[in-house]
Amino acid sequence: MTSVGIHIEKGTPTAAPPGRASWHLRANAIVVGWLALTVAVALAGDVLPVPRWLLIHVFLLGAVSTAILIWSEHFTVALLRARTPQQRWSLARLALLNAGTVAVLAGVAAGPWPVAAAGAGAVVGVVLWHAAALVMLVRRALPGRFGHVIGWYAAAAGALAAGGTLGGLLAAHVGHGAMHERLHAAHVQVNLLGWVGLTVLGTLFTLWPTVLRTRMPEGTRKASRAGLWLAAPGLAVTVAGLLADLHLVAAAGLVLYAAGALAAAVPLAEAVRRRRPHTGAAWTLGAAIIWFEVALTVDLVIVTTRPAGAVGRALEPLIPVVLVGFAAQVLVGSLLHLLPAVLGGGPIRFKENAALLERGWVVRLAVLNAGVVLLALRVPAPLLLLGWALVVTAVAAFVILAVAALVRSRAFAVPRDGAAEPEGGGPDRTAGRTAGRSALAGVAAGCVLTAAAVVVATTGGSGPAATVTATGTRTVEVTLSGMIIRPAMIEAPVGTVLTLRVTNADAQRHDLRLATGERTPVLAAGRSVTLTLAPLGETVDGWCTVAGHRAAGMTMRIVPTGALAQPGTDTGHGAHGSAGQTTSPDGDDATVTGIEQTVLDLVAPFSPGWKPYDATLKPAPGGTEHAVEIRADDTVVREVAPGVRQRVWTFNGTVPGPVLRGKVGDVFTVTFVNGGTMSHGIDFHAGANAPDGVMRTIAPGERLTYRFRAEHAGAWLYHCSTMPMTQHIAGGMYGAVVIDPPDLTTADREFLLVQGELYLGEPGSDGQVAKIRQDRPDGWMFNGTAAGYDHAPLEARTGERVRIWAVAAGPSSGTALHVVGAPFDTLYKEGAYLLRAGDPGGAQVLDLAPAQGGFAELVFPEPGTYPVVDHTMRQAEGGAHGLFEVGAR
Amino acid sequence: MTWWAVVRFAHVLSAALWVGGQLTVSLVVLPLVRRLLDEQRRAQVMRAVGRRFGIFTGAVFLPVQLGTGVALAWRKGVTWDSLADPGYGRILAAKLGLFCAVMIAAGLHGWATGTGRPAFARAMAVTALVGSVGVVLLATALPAT
Repeated sequence: MTSVGIHIEKGTPTAAPPGRASWHLRANAIVVGWLALTVAVALAGDVLPVPRWLLIHVFLLGAVSTAILIWSEHFTVALLRARTPQQRWSLARLALLNAGTVAVLAGVAAGPWPVAAAGAGAVVGVVLWHAAALVMLVRRALPGRFGHVIGWYAAAAGALAAGGTLGGLLAAHVGHGAMHERLHAAHVQVNLLGWVGLTVLGTLFTLWPTVLRTRMPEGTRKASRAGLWLAAPGLAVTVAGLLADLHLVAAAGLVLYAAGALAAAVPLAEAVRRRRPHTGAAWTLGAAIIWFEVALTVDLVIVTTRPAGAVGRALEPLIPVVLVGFAAQVLVGSLLHLLPAVLGGGPIRFKENAALLERGWVVRLAVLNAGVVLLALRVPAPLLLLGWALVVTAVAAFVILAVAALVRSRAFAVPRDGAAEPEGGGPDRTAGRTAGRSALAGVAAGCVLTAAAVVVATTGGSGPAATVTATGTRTVEVTLSGMIIRPAMIEAPVGTVLTLRVTNADAQRHDLRLATGERTPVLAAGRSVTLTLAPLGETVDGWCTVAGHRAAGMTMRIVPTGALAQPGTDTGHGAHGSAGQTTSPDGDDATVTGIEQTVLDLVAPFSPGWKPYDATLKPAPGGTEHAVEIRADDTVVREVAPGVRQRVWTFNGTVPGPVLRGKVGDVFTVTFVNGGTMSHGIDFHAGANAPDGVMRTIAPGERLTYRFRAEHAGAWLYHCSTMPMTQHIAGGMYGAVVIDPPDLTTADREFLLVQGELYLGEPGSDGQVAKIRQDRPDGWMFNGTAAGYDHAPLEARTGERVRIWAVAAGPSSGTALHVVGAPFDTLYKEGAYLLRAGDPGGAQVLDLAPAQGGFAELVFPEPGTYPVVDHTMRQAEGGAHGLFEVGAR
Repeated sequence: MTWWAVVRFAHVLSAALWVGGQLTVSLVVLPLVRRLLDEQRRAQVMRAVGRRFGIFTGAVFLPVQLGTGVALAWRKGVTWDSLADPGYGRILAAKLGLFCAVMIAAGLHGWATGTGRPAFARAMAVTALVGSVGVVLLATALPAT
């Protein structure tokens, strides 16, 4: 009695006007087409621009929205027993929606943005038109028992109108920073909970009992009314709250929405109590409902606990659950149930189609939901990949079955059109079947032949290349990341069969090609592939073939043991050995630097337990007399760049050494102890003393007292005063003295960055000294670590006055300190203000020659991540680079 | 643009005609013939198409393909020994082997059609078609220089 949705279609398959049946068939083909495209996009991955966005929108805007447009109209007609609206206009809406969708996808993925915005406008127009059409149907229909469902559809259409508008604004890049985040959060909530959620809830009132093959429970209408009255206003409040940056208001709206969803779930639960789910469609829909509730709960927690600007980012991990667990399963479950009815063709045909579509549903359901669980749990990368594989497999299996059912019904329909074809002749049928079988045999034979040929073509092995006999095997892990290949050098005995397990650990795509011809495909981020090489004969170079990467240093070489010492094997190495390095004149040195001068991998992780040098500058202690003990220590091993630990020469064990801060006129009494293994001294630029005494070099174990009055304000360098100073400073023996100018205003945050050059290798070793003398640093460091603050960003908030003190320690290069995205309004350099807050001008760089110091002040305009760099770009890219993580006030 | 480009062009064009012709006949002509014509006319048309295609194969396709193929291989410096080398030689050898198999299948198709074995004829025709697509695959796999 209540299974209206189906029986109208199924009960009168022959009486139904052919036009209507075929338009639904065609329309569902579009949905299946979008689903197939979704699978394709998921498989294509990083090949496409904005892959994640594209996946979400191909699925939700393509497949789900088209399905909603078709089915909400169909259900409205069926439930109201209304006349079918003019097919022409329905098709026009469908066409316009799809055109709008394509415009949005193209506009965002490939640009320009007005195309996307226009597409969003078209989508909004279509749903408003759709809602109006539904309301007209209700107005014209006789009062019935199912009218309440249409309210849900109209509310859902209203939600997409709002969500589409927000999407259009996002595509048009309206609103920056926090505003953009809030728009995004509202866009996600209103589209998923409104357009998809409300439609599904409304449909389930009638669809769910039908799928269960039971009667619609009493009180459904009442529950529906109450549910809609709670859910729709609740959602509106949520969206308003998110846009207005009132996350508690948004949370209250969500509570209302959840209450509405709960009210709507009461009759659904009642139906389950009467009749347990027993078909694939019912179980799939049931699983979808459970995922919806899970997602709603988590969403509620997120919106309650986060500021509105952070909701969008926090929702990210939830997206697969909603997308796959809820939306995809609702779609698949509904299509499982509805497609056989739509395909028509009489009761036998209906049963055949239903059986075809439900084939293996238990496995498919289990696979899909296992996949969703993996996606939801944020498991590590390989398991995550498995999760996606499971999901894609399950959806693809359904798409294939659905296409088979669609094609079968199409084929079934063909004889009716074909005028010349004699009607269903028995012998003709058998002849066709034999022909099909022999064609199949032909395809199989052709494929076997081709496969055999391909095997012959691709298997190497016993060619003349195997002049070197295999003596052993070895597997080496090779990692591509941060413009270097690790290891840069593999040494193995002649004849070793090397197996390279190549992993791209970078965010961008790389490959590895060897001079002997072996190559990996271009690997997306996180992908691995194994290369097995021929027995090692001579030196083999390898490199990444992506444009520019080889020149940037993505090279490696495989060297037979013993060949390393022979410069003769060094073929063309200098051309692409290290980025921007020139080959040394003598062969010996080339070999040394070839190994030592590796390109730094600044994106690699730091060792566990690594702590950055605290850049926060504490205020000057009270009093005018300061007593400090500074100890030279040249045996410390520190992490100078991600994953690179080496010995450094230090004051007090850190690079830079301890910071001294005071006011003009303060007296500093420094007890300098040489706790190192060689002679050291110390030179405070902030003081005025004859160098002969206090700056003298002292032997290990000795001490001296260095007393100076800070007569002048400024950011001053101190450094080891022992010759050769290049080596002592390059080794890490420097630090800062900060003397506040008398009129220094208070800042909300003060940081100190001491910039220095990084020379890899044992300090004082031949190779390292050669690099210092030729002015070829391996990198540049803020506070003793290259790119350290990229990995441990400095923190600030919007609206705060941030003062960055800087000292250039050199030994040979200065700095052009710059903060990306935030100009300086105050500049103080070498004892004088160049610019003060309130001046009309601004500054972009605090430029310091070696040993100069100063500070710059700025106010971050909005939350975000602001790089702080030495705008001497070679030095920024060599590690004089950090980040400010700026949060909302 | 040298004369070698013309030779390569003739080689590729003739292959395209042969594979494309088979595909067109199998995917476009035959289904239509089967649907639109009665049994007798159908047999007539299909025989005529088969004969014409056979003549084209023997008179144009094979001579052009063998001639240009041998010439290109000679220019490339291919020797009998080098056909065993992994890489270019091995792929070329596999392609030639598959090509011979395709020709045998095509010949068998003609023989089976003539002696009234429609099922076998059809199987051989499809074998030849799929195999020639495989030849194209291997041709594209040949490393370019």
